[in-house]
Amino acid sequence: MTRITLTVNGRKHVVEAEPRRLLADVLREDCGLTGVHIGCAHGACGCCTVHVDGSPRLSCLTFAVQMDGRAIRTVEDLGGTEATHPLQQAFRRNHALQCGYCTPGFLMALLPFVEAQVSAGQMPDDDEIREAMSGNICRCTGYQGIVEAVRETIGDALAAKTEAAQ
Amino acid sequence: MKAETPRQIGARVLRLEDPRLLSGRARYIDDIRPANCLHLKFVRAQVAHARLLDVDTSMLADLEPAVTVFTGKDIGKLSMKSHQDYPEMQYAEQPLLAQGRVRFVGEPIAAVLAEDAYLAEDAAEMVFADFDFLDPVTTMEQALDPAVQPLFDHWKNNTWVERQMKGGDLQAARAAAAHVIRRTYTNQRHTGVPMEGRGVVAEYDPGQRFLTVWSSTQMPHLVRTYIAEELGLPESRIRVIAPDVGGGFGVKGQVFGEEVLVAWCAIQTGRPVKWIEDRRENLMASIHARDHRHTLEAYVSAEGRLLGLKADITVDIGAYSTYPFSAAGESGMAAKVMPGPYDFQAYEATFRSLATNKCPNGTYRGVARPSAVFSQERLMDDIAREIGMDPIAFRLKNIIRTFPYRNVLGFSYDPGSYVESLEKTRELLAPDFARASATAGDPNRRIGVGIACFIEQTAHGTPDFTRRRVPIETGYIAARLEVMTDGHVLIDLGLQNHGQGLETTMAQVASDALGITPDRIYVRHGDTSAPYSVGTWGSRGGPLGGGAVHLAATEIAGKMRAIAAHLLQAPVGSVQLGDNKAFVSDQPDRFVDLAYVARSALRNVDRLPEGMAPGLAAEASVDGPKDGSYSNAVHAAVVDIDLRTGKLKLLRYVVVEDCGTILNPLVVDGQVRGGVVQGIGSALWEHFVYDAEGQPLTTSFADYLMPQAPEIPMIEVHHFETPTSLTPLGAKGLGEGGAIGPPAAIANAVTHALDIGVTGTPLTASVLWHLAKTAREGG
Ligand code: FES
Ligand code: FES
Repeated sequence: MTRITLTVNGRKHVVEAEPRRLLADVLREDCGLTGVHIGCAHGACGCCTVHVDGSPRLSCLTFAVQMDGRAIRTVEDLGGTEATHPLQQAFRRNHALQCGYCTPGFLMALLPFVEAQVSAGQMPDDDEIREAMSGNICRCTGYQGIVEAVRETIGDALAAKTEAAQ
Repeated sequence: MKAETPRQIGARVLRLEDPRLLSGRARYIDDIRPANCLHLKFVRAQVAHARLLDVDTSMLADLEPAVTVFTGKDIGKLSMKSHQDYPEMQYAEQPLLAQGRVRFVGEPIAAVLAEDAYLAEDAAEMVFADFDFLDPVTTMEQALDPAVQPLFDHWKNNTWVERQMKGGDLQAARAAAAHVIRRTYTNQRHTGVPMEGRGVVAEYDPGQRFLTVWSSTQMPHLVRTYIAEELGLPESRIRVIAPDVGGGFGVKGQVFGEEVLVAWCAIQTGRPVKWIEDRRENLMASIHARDHRHTLEAYVSAEGRLLGLKADITVDIGAYSTYPFSAAGESGMAAKVMPGPYDFQAYEATFRSLATNKCPNGTYRGVARPSAVFSQERLMDDIAREIGMDPIAFRLKNIIRTFPYRNVLGFSYDPGSYVESLEKTRELLAPDFARASATAGDPNRRIGVGIACFIEQTAHGTPDFTRRRVPIETGYIAARLEVMTDGHVLIDLGLQNHGQGLETTMAQVASDALGITPDRIYVRHGDTSAPYSVGTWGSRGGPLGGGAVHLAATEIAGKMRAIAAHLLQAPVGSVQLGDNKAFVSDQPDRFVDLAYVARSALRNVDRLPEGMAPGLAAEASVDGPKDGSYSNAVHAAVVDIDLRTGKLKLLRYVVVEDCGTILNPLVVDGQVRGGVVQGIGSALWEHFVYDAEGQPLTTSFADYLMPQAPEIPMIEVHHFETPTSLTPLGAKGLGEGGAIGPPAAIANAVTHALDIGVTGTPLTASVLWHLAKTAREGG
């Protein structure tokens, strides 16, 4: 057993973990963050994506002990119980989810992409949006609603930026 | 107050279930964590076919902390049985843990229970099975070879069942034909692959003698009945709950041996038991689907009229018969639906299901129809090519135009928009046909346009299952509605929602009848606490479940109007419901809140009319019409193929569909698009490959390739709306249709692009490379 300290969604957690224990399991079981989903446990579906120090990372391919001292963010932290984050709201408006199992992974994988586009002030084309989600599999939606949600979120943020600048 | 409140049915209502799914607050099966739970890991057969001489668990004896293990020796006669009552059908059972023989890689041999999932996996690796190898049966040819030993000792060959269906005079059709066109088409083994695998948690309370089972299933009541019968428990003391389910697609529309076994283990050990399937198990041992070969022979007149069709249908069902649709279901369904949307009155089909040493074949979105429509629609194009007609013109010449239409097997089709959909597609695709012609002589690339025109029997119910003698037996869907003292509504729905948006659409339906807004309506589902129903599958939720909710809500609305009339001192006929109020039609100021009406019905019953019984609850069920109700659609694919490499790009995908009354366009379009993209996977990539030894070669997402965003175009969806008179709301089913058309549409587009008749799927990169090479060299 190894003792590690993780900052998860802004709170410190001290966890005793076997070296082989996956970050996904520690987040789900020790921290109670069951929005982290396992779709394959071999790095191919993106369901388990979380942020480590702000970057997306597959928690099924990460041992918890590798994360000592790191800051981790999960979907639970985005917009609370009501899912108020603009990207979550855009997912809802555009029917970007059906069963919802892949959804936390998509949100966490796409959020840094959305933020980067907004801060660079650019609107990606659909091919670029699709490329940004190429590490995630959704079996329900056929991806169209997700593409539209990303486009809409970036569009709204860019419009707000322009307005603020004027 | 406005006299008309906007109707919820038909409105693009955003889904009520979304916030919990988006915020990470949904509870899927792996999120169910009873205290003191044991974790179960299956030891599964590593060989396809062998006598099982011994299972050695001695290495587990001294483990610390202790583990529990069960093998086939411990379970008595517990098994899965699924037999269709056909005289020709050979009977077989699957013991919940193998006894004496294993018949596919992945068959459960032992169950190991430990304190956590990691330890269970460690311990499972210490179980050894002693096999005496037998020759595996891995191809249809081997299964049909009389010299090959049957998979079951008491069987006479490896055919589960072989039967015929026929109608009309095929001899006469053949005699009158100017053209006889014969082709063989194949559809590969693949399946639904929901992002969440299967999983079961069971807990037994010995004091109450009550068993609670959570399972990621589409059919909780059927799971309950099977467990009760198999374990000999009273059904009143079992509750099965499907929590949030991460996709099903028909894969979770069977009762699984694992569900029964986990429940049994919880009773045996006196502790909660949890099993979560991993992806490898899911790909090799949950449910496979399709795996068809069809030989079709069409008889066509000199004028291009289809006179008759002969079909020979073979399906590789694998090692066991799944419950409740059985080993006969898939091939029988293909034979039944092969006549499709075309007008001809002579048909003869022979269908057979074969036993092989592969994962059992069960239901996946579309159930046999994607394969049948592939063959039917490839054949229509091949006939058109052979007799020199335009494929759409040929279809228009043969399409059914008058309704109700009695098809060659006696099924009655309710009205649809068959002609309109074909004509609309032709109009939408005109620029693409022009683009295709422009590339016809191009040495490097070709564009092709292909369509698939089909119907789908939906909303089928008891009459259909009785006719087919399937173990499912029945098909009604029930719902119970209850208005609470505060005017909020609880719907206990006999369906299970795994992405279809039922928490929203059913609230919309109830809202229109009750005059109560959807935000006050809570839909509870996937729980045997609801009235008995067979679950969510077969494109029946909207038409039948929606119908049941509508009927129960209408009954309650009548009572609320009577109470309100009494309270308002107005005639019942003048009372309307809307906006959470009951009001007198042309006197908007005379109203009473429905919360007050509800409180009067349940608590302040002194306010009720003389002699009225208290309560505001009702239950209703709706069964499918005799022959179901037929949705129709045309799909069109436009492909661009690089002749040098065979690389295929989907330029455009168009759907024109008609599912009757649309309950919620957001949900309908989502179901269609999701289905189409699964169908694109069927057409191009997804394939369970076995080697000659019966070893599965596709047991991870690195080998089993599903559609990912970059390869998928936008899916255009257009609607016709022909409400049916056969269901309460005019709705037909639509959940499966999207997945039915793509293999045929894409294969027809490739055929058009390369001028080579495609005969099978998947059209993988290597298949396309060969086709392109042939086209290049031929052209
Ligand atoms: S669960 Fe981590 S990538 Fe699939
Ligand atoms: S919403 Fe079900 S897998 Fe994406």
